[in-house]
Amino acid sequence: MNTSVTAPVQLHGLAATRLRLRAIARRHAYVLLRSPHRLFDVTLWPLVDVLLFGALAQFVGNGDPSGASQAAGYLLAGIVLWHVIYQSQIALSTGFLEETWTRNLLNLMVTPLREVEYVAGVALFGMVKLVLGVGVMVLGALVFFSFDTWSLGFGLVPIAAVLLLVGWAVSLFVIGLVLRFGSGAEALAWGVMFILLPLSGVFYPVDSLPALLQPIAKLLPTTHAFAALRDLVDDKGLNWVQVGIAAFGALVMVAIALAYLTRMLRMFRRRGYITRYT
Amino acid sequence: MAPEVVLAARGLVKDYRRARAVDGVNIVVHRGERVALLGPNGAGKTTTLLMVLGVVSPDAGDVTICGYELAKKRSRAAQCVGFAAGYLPLTERMRVREYLTLFAQLYGIADPSPQIDEGLERFRITDLGDAMGTELSSGQRTLIGIVRATLHRPRLLVLDEPTASLDPDVAMRVRTGLVDLSDEFGCALLMTSHDMSDVERVCERVVFLSHGRVVADAAPREVAARYGTGDLESVFLHLAERHEAAAAQQSDHP
Repeated sequence: MNTSVTAPVQLHGLAATRLRLRAIARRHAYVLLRSPHRLFDVTLWPLVDVLLFGALAQFVGNGDPSGASQAAGYLLAGIVLWHVIYQSQIALSTGFLEETWTRNLLNLMVTPLREVEYVAGVALFGMVKLVLGVGVMVLGALVFFSFDTWSLGFGLVPIAAVLLLVGWAVSLFVIGLVLRFGSGAEALAWGVMFILLPLSGVFYPVDSLPALLQPIAKLLPTTHAFAALRDLVDDKGLNWVQVGIAAFGALVMVAIALAYLTRMLRMFRRRGYITRYT
Repeated sequence: MAPEVVLAARGLVKDYRRARAVDGVNIVVHRGERVALLGPNGAGKTTTLLMVLGVVSPDAGDVTICGYELAKKRSRAAQCVGFAAGYLPLTERMRVREYLTLFAQLYGIADPSPQIDEGLERFRITDLGDAMGTELSSGQRTLIGIVRATLHRPRLLVLDEPTASLDPDVAMRVRTGLVDLSDEFGCALLMTSHDMSDVERVCERVVFLSHGRVVADAAPREVAARYGTGDLESVFLHLAERHEAAAAQQSDHP
């Protein structure tokens, strides 16, 4: 054999963690760039949502400029911020599902990659998709309906941060379900958000929901985040109380989702579920 | 001085539902040693490997790799191990070089180009660097998988069926490459295979499993002699017959 034996220089500690995070993020960038149909999730569907809800706002406020403006505020700001949860959730969930679809899970699990590093790497690239998707929506709302999302001010930032956390919490829970129940639970990656959507009062106050559902809705951090968003639309400034409740609820959700995921991962190892993906 | 122990698996037990897949397996592998884990289908080979890799947790027993207890220091232990299996596909939508870079970085190698070139050259597949994973034959995928598993110079290389469904030329390249790797940097091998001639050519020690238990652990010739046969193939067939008979008896008397 004519090969020279070159000992590789291996990084350790934080430097190795950073390298692994970047490697996972880059791996998912390849997936997106080399499967153009996936760009639909990030660009086309968000734009379709802007058109749908923007047109609805025009119709609802027909003949009344102030009514149209308020409806546009509620509906367009609502759908743009909804996509913060949706895109962050779907990016992380489908990122993990990609490993199961391509039977890459075993390859990854035998490396020094830690679970938290994997999740952080996928979430990191998910942020890129999120910026792209929400950017398209903000631009679409401005071009088609003259609605400037940024006119709502920097109060949007803490609200978006809370929604981002909720999106990640939901996807951690979905990953836990897939680890436990296998590919059958995949449908939840997309479906679970549609349970959250009506209950969170994205476009309306939760008082509009049936009385039976209102107590459930009020438990959701998303409900308080969107209530804070409507205050912004109504020029009432940032409602820190609502944002605080939402942030606390989001952190509780993340903690519960992490505990569930850890438990499911332990079960995955104990029951040898890896054989489903080999 | 005794050679360094790179793998010590003690008293491994694994139950799946009502069946015991692995029943008190002990395996110790030393630096540079080439060991085959053999046995009929269902003997517990793959489950044992998955426990050694930390992907399946044992119901009893423990695994130590290069001094790191797997249950407590999985990431550190994994740093010392490489794994490849003939049945695992390559990640789609990535070129071979991108794929190898990804895995090298997961092992903490920031610039793996020299190791990638060396690995591709070792298995005579330098022309595949720019190919997409989906364009490769199963033999090429196996070779790339082994290159991936050895980029970080593991002290223990675990291989599940590395030569399964390969043509003789590629199988020979795999065998030669593995022996070279082991000789050049003292990498220990733990491999499963159903091809006894492969095992005789690569491994200096065989561990036979039957019904999840170690029934023989010695040099190939020694094991063959113990069973009164001339080669491993006959030992394998003998054990497979016993395995089937026991399974049939079990299904008659549940």
